[in-house]
Amino acid sequence: MPILKVENIKKSFGPLEVLKQISFEVNKNDVIAVIGPSGSGKSTMLRSLVHLEELDGGSISVNGNYIVKDGIYSKPQQLKEITSEMGMVFQHFNLFPHLTVVENLELAPKLLKKGSAEQTRELSMELLSKVGLSDKADVLPSKLSGGQKQRVAIARALMRKPEVLLFDEPTSALDPELTGEVLRVMKDLAQEDMTMVVVTHEMEFAKEVANKAIFMDKGEIVESGSPVDLLNNPQMERTKAFLYRTLSK
Amino acid sequence: MSIDYFVSILIPMLEGARATVLLFLIAIIVSIPLGFLLTLIVRSSIKPLAYLANAYIYLMRGTPLLLQLLFIVFGLPLIPVVGEYLVLDRFTAACLGFILNYAAYFAEIFRGGLLAIDKGQFEAAKVLGLNRWQTMRKIVFPQMFRIALPAVANESVTLVKDTALLYAVAVPELLHFAQTAVNRDFTITPFLLAGVIYLIITLFLTLFFKWLERRLRFD
Repeated sequence: MPILKVENIKKSFGPLEVLKQISFEVNKNDVIAVIGPSGSGKSTMLRSLVHLEELDGGSISVNGNYIVKDGIYSKPQQLKEITSEMGMVFQHFNLFPHLTVVENLELAPKLLKKGSAEQTRELSMELLSKVGLSDKADVLPSKLSGGQKQRVAIARALMRKPEVLLFDEPTSALDPELTGEVLRVMKDLAQEDMTMVVVTHEMEFAKEVANKAIFMDKGEIVESGSPVDLLNNPQMERTKAFLYRTLSK
Repeated sequence: MSIDYFVSILIPMLEGARATVLLFLIAIIVSIPLGFLLTLIVRSSIKPLAYLANAYIYLMRGTPLLLQLLFIVFGLPLIPVVGEYLVLDRFTAACLGFILNYAAYFAEIFRGGLLAIDKGQFEAAKVLGLNRWQTMRKIVFPQMFRIALPAVANESVTLVKDTALLYAVAVPELLHFAQTAVNRDFTITPFLLAGVIYLIITLFLTLFFKWLERRLRFD
């Protein structure tokens, strides 16, 4: 059974249909790269998975539990429990600027009373060392580079041990020389069998790390399949046109 | 001009400065939390309450503080039937006026602080599982206060100077004693002295807020 099942989801902003009947599944250990031009609805799609966007129709379920079924959302408490299976990493990091790195990681577990203070500290230090930032634990985010901020954001998202980790263009706000360190952390996670859905413009990363790629355009999934096939040998005209534009840049 | 004369006018003026400082402290300590509460009400989902709070802020910011003070001190007792119960001690009445007026200004300052917080902060908090109140308490309010701090500092300095309006409702304060001495002795010295005392108070206040800003800085 897939961990995450998305069926015919729809959303409009006024007259503009941003998601038109999108369906796909995420299985355990999948790394799915979602690519497509800006305005194709890929971010909206990703955000709807954790209820940052409200859908007009369709269903999303996690391990068989429905966040939304045929356009009708579960009760808030249930919704919260189901979405807690997922972590999210944002394009602009969204770290809490008034809290130190380690406080950023520990705020939610402490407020939600997940485990003892010692367990929380142990986990936060373990995750900071995993992203290579043990020495920055007591530093404010403003003292970090973009790449470091994003690595902290990834560690923060991992604190609740999510079943699926969602990435919304995690390297798009970074200087080119800083994307490598973030992609490396994501690659490590993939090797540890983390299930991930990554909205990205990093085609090399998609080919190298993802086991499935989805190409979206104008609110629909145009084409999906193995990343190497999709990127090297696209079948649909729109995919070809997009890849041509992207690669010729 | 003798030292004796200087001391003889300084003592009542310092006495007056005590009223000035006391009014300032009472007004700021009560109006900041009250302003914060107003901000919350303005943003609350209970619409009638929000409208009421907005109307209140408009009223307080849209009319002169002097008019409000005169209204409370001299106006309220003139209201038929209930007026006789509304005769307050003048200093108390003035405190009330300052609190009611400044709360509206602080509410606007805090609202500006709230608007300046990136919506990504709310989204991150939501995805991490925080509820609305936890998000406000741990993420939003600390940033809001920090963002609002320079404006709060500025407003506080204005409040120090506005205490001189006590003069108009005949509560003896710093300026009152200066004016008395000027009229009596026909010399400009008391005015200069009053100016220096105001400067010293605002200097301390400015240094305090600068220190607070440094301590709470996170950007």
